Amino acid sequence: MLKMQNIRKSYRSDTIETHALRDFSLEVKEGEFVSVTGPSGSGKTTFLNIAGLLETPTGGQYLLDGQEVGGLSDRDRSHLRNEKIGFIFQGFNLIPDLNLFDNIDVPLRYRGFNAKERRRRIEKSLEQVGLAARAKHLPAQLSGGQQQRVAIARALAGEPRFLLADEPTGNLDSLMARQVMELLEFVNEWGTTIIMVTHDPDLARRAHRNIQIVDGQVSDLRQVAQHKQSAIA
Amino acid sequence: MLELRPILSALWRHKVSALLIALQLGLTLAIVSNALVVISERTERISRPTGVAENEIVTFNFMAIPKDYDMYDAFRQDLDMIRALPGVASATISNHVPLSGSGSASGFYTEPNKETGAMGSNYYTVDEHFVDALGMKLIAGRGFYPEEIMQIDPSSNDRPKVSVVTQKFADDLFPESDGNVLGKSFFLGGDDHPIEIVGIVERNLGPWPNSSIAGRGAFYPAITDRWFYYIVRAEPGQRDEVLKLVEEKLAERDGNRVINANTMEEEKAQYFAGDNTMIKVLSGVIVLLTFIVALGIVGLTVFWITQRQKQIGVRRALGATRTAISRYFLLENLMIAATGIALGTAAAQIFNGFLVREFDQPALPVSVTVFCALGLLAVSLAAALVPALRAANISPAMATRSV
Amino acid sequence: MFGYYVSLALRSLRRTPVLSALMVAAIAVGVGAAMTTLTLNYMMSRNALAEKDSVLYAVQLDGWDPHEAADNPSEMPWQLTYQDSVNLLRSDIPSKQVAMHRWGGPISLENSDVRPFNADSRVTSRDFFALFDVPFLFGGTWSEEADQSPIHQLVLTSETNDKLFGGENSVGRTVNFNGVPFTVVGVTEHWQPSPKVHDLNNGHFNKSAEVFLPFGLHRAFEIYPWGNTNGWKSEEITSYEDRLNSDMVWLQYWVQLDSPKQVEAYRDFLTGYIREQKEQGRFPRPLKIGLSKPSEWLLLNEVVDGDDRMLNWLSLAFLLVCLVNAVALLLAKFLRKAPEAGVRRALGASRNAVFSQHLVESACVGLLGGLAGILLTLAGLSLIRQLQMGYMDRVASMDWTMMLAAIGLAVLSSLLAGFYPAWRISRTNPSIYLKTQ
Repeated sequence: MLKMQNIRKSYRSDTIETHALRDFSLEVKEGEFVSVTGPSGSGKTTFLNIAGLLETPTGGQYLLDGQEVGGLSDRDRSHLRNEKIGFIFQGFNLIPDLNLFDNIDVPLRYRGFNAKERRRRIEKSLEQVGLAARAKHLPAQLSGGQQQRVAIARALAGEPRFLLADEPTGNLDSLMARQVMELLEFVNEWGTTIIMVTHDPDLARRAHRNIQIVDGQVSDLRQVAQHKQSAIA
Repeated sequence: MLELRPILSALWRHKVSALLIALQLGLTLAIVSNALVVISERTERISRPTGVAENEIVTFNFMAIPKDYDMYDAFRQDLDMIRALPGVASATISNHVPLSGSGSASGFYTEPNKETGAMGSNYYTVDEHFVDALGMKLIAGRGFYPEEIMQIDPSSNDRPKVSVVTQKFADDLFPESDGNVLGKSFFLGGDDHPIEIVGIVERNLGPWPNSSIAGRGAFYPAITDRWFYYIVRAEPGQRDEVLKLVEEKLAERDGNRVINANTMEEEKAQYFAGDNTMIKVLSGVIVLLTFIVALGIVGLTVFWITQRQKQIGVRRALGATRTAISRYFLLENLMIAATGIALGTAAAQIFNGFLVREFDQPALPVSVTVFCALGLLAVSLAAALVPALRAANISPAMATRSV
Repeated sequence: MFGYYVSLALRSLRRTPVLSALMVAAIAVGVGAAMTTLTLNYMMSRNALAEKDSVLYAVQLDGWDPHEAADNPSEMPWQLTYQDSVNLLRSDIPSKQVAMHRWGGPISLENSDVRPFNADSRVTSRDFFALFDVPFLFGGTWSEEADQSPIHQLVLTSETNDKLFGGENSVGRTVNFNGVPFTVVGVTEHWQPSPKVHDLNNGHFNKSAEVFLPFGLHRAFEIYPWGNTNGWKSEEITSYEDRLNSDMVWLQYWVQLDSPKQVEAYRDFLTGYIREQKEQGRFPRPLKIGLSKPSEWLLLNEVVDGDDRMLNWLSLAFLLVCLVNAVALLLAKFLRKAPEAGVRRALGASRNAVFSQHLVESACVGLLGGLAGILLTLAGLSLIRQLQMGYMDRVASMDWTMMLAAIGLAVLSSLLAGFYPAWRISRTNPSIYLKTQ
């Protein structure tokens, strides 16, 4: 599903070159739920941005769904991102000017679906997260947990194979966090691969597999107990 | 304690926006300063003394309906009647009206039978009341005697014997005589008939105040029936009544003609309409442009402040006073404005060079640029002042707010 | 997608009404200023004779002072003398030709309530209407004889005909002009070229004639033209006949030459004519003639004068400032929305999509600015009309072309203004906006 080999990413300011990722290699199988942990500044976010095609690595190889994405144009990368990847952020990142319906509409527009198909998908995904009645509300009128559920609905509306979540429960209280987590597990059971960055060890433990990034490299791989698939070196 | 370094580095992060504001100020300075020179030149043109009582004079002209109409008889009767009317100070008949844009001009010589090297000047044919009727000032010699007034058919070759000229005519035709031209004679081209100068009037801009011969004028004691206007000077404050009254009485005396009446003020306004348009349009440009630039500065300062709300909160939390916050933004604005004005001073000179070369406009003095630069600087600071004061009101609590 | 972008743009503009209003105002004022002067210049440089531009020629002969050329860009007198006009009229080379000048006088009707009034008139040879394509409502031009001898016939314009006869067919009726009865032989349709290219003396944009009179009347009325009369030498003039035979210029002369061969032949004719006159001591200057097409004639006469062109430059500079202003404001607005653009990128929008979205938003600002700019232009033009005290009434007005041009200019300007901000936001790295806000 996702395979990174010897990925490097460095940022250059005027004088200093910082290495966010060094010789980073990872493979995630279809249907996996992987949690990513690590201290701040370890490169978690950079990994997520590269995985989500928001940034290009300085070196190394990245295969998404068997396709080498290194040489792709911005247009193709955007297309891939739109079709295969859903994002969930700590800050929800709903567009404040748009109501829930229009927020979920955004990725569908870029996909080029017709109006009928978009409506069908929006209604279905709002249904899934239990907010069908509030389609016309603005994000600001919802609680944090509700907003995150909308964000998940938006990520799912395009039926991506792959969900990238960056601290999805970071801004939520524990009750809401649990609800969001349950929703993600539900989605995963239906076949969507999930990579979740978090620093909540309880949440990390609920994933099939947990990887730890330290100083730009995968430092430790642990097989999570209940996961049946074998570990990858 | 000037905090220039942090301002500079903050500006550097917004270099494009800052440069755009500077650019706007620069272009505005270039346009405004050049517009101001043109305005002042045109205003000067319009407000030059004309030498005549332009606000008290009304003019009349008629066309007879019957073919064989005794014009000279009508002139005599009309003028006698007009002079007797209440409110009328004086009246004359002239072939043209000063400041009206319609007149006659010719070439003049100091020697007989010359064909080249003429001095161009306006000329008028008038009767003996002309000095008073036009409200001019006779500074030397005399006016005309009634018996000197000739009737001239434009197809005849009759020449007057005497003439009254303007001071400028005298100075330009006889530059060495130091104004003592009474008794001297001048000639028309290819002609040996001397015309003696018997009087000098202080000033008369003539029918075309913007032409190169404006101010030169010769008056002849003559009447012609091809081109004529009654020039009537009213007692102060009675012009409009006199206009109505004379028009009425002229029609009453003889209904067999079509009468046109005008005030000299209106004719002057018509003549200067183009210059006046320039003045108004350019003033509008200055006001609008300054306004637009001020709005732009307000818009951008507000935007920057919103962007840096948290940062301002942090500064406040760390002990910055309100004054320090306002001063920060004003200093920032000052630096942008200074850059813009430096750019603008150069642009103003370049633009002015273009205008001088292509459109014969006046050169831009440094003083005008400096004046405009200071004005724009003040506008720029004033525009930044309101948002800067508002920034000072941002609560230190902003620092702790996360979203 | 375009419709989607438009709806996003409108939403975004509504969200920041003050900033949006500032931008629209900046574009509107810039467009208003630019379009006011552009419209003036466009209207002033219109060529009413454009359809016959390839066959009509204004004729100039250089019979001026041997010591100095005539003081105008063509270095030839604009007009012709009476004697030369009469001589040229004898040529049968041109398909049509006109000698003419402005005149005027009181016009009245016997036994009528219509008050006598002064009519601006044109004394001309009979080809005038055919040469300048002036259509007739009733009747037609006068007889050929009327161009040679005093025959009291005249042609009215429809406006004058309305005033005198309430718009009826007045052919055959009698009006008094200058105290003498004339028979109406024709009534033209409305004809008001502006600038009045056929006679650019006495104001380029003034009204043209209300009455047309035949060329054979000069001696009978001792006609002194109402236009400009210019001379360069002192001449012994003791009678009207002397005046007609003098070297003073006061007539405009136009010919219609339909083929290059005709042009060539006419050039030869004029050259021959001047040579012939030189033998009699006239035309002391080097031989020079001018044949100018209407379009060339307008340029030569500097109908669009220095002030107008200066205002043109100035208003373009003004528009530039407004554009820079719009760029700054758009940049501020777009950067404020950078987080949203980041989210859109994450959800699959390509850079191009983000760029297009913002460019469409700029164009919407431009469209609104253009519409407001038209209103400002109309206000500007009405101000000009007022300041010019009637002189510019026929020029300072806007037609559909210019309205469309105003919108076009506004949209183009705002696309230009929006290009950098839109590009900038589409290039911004989205990931920095996706982390916690």
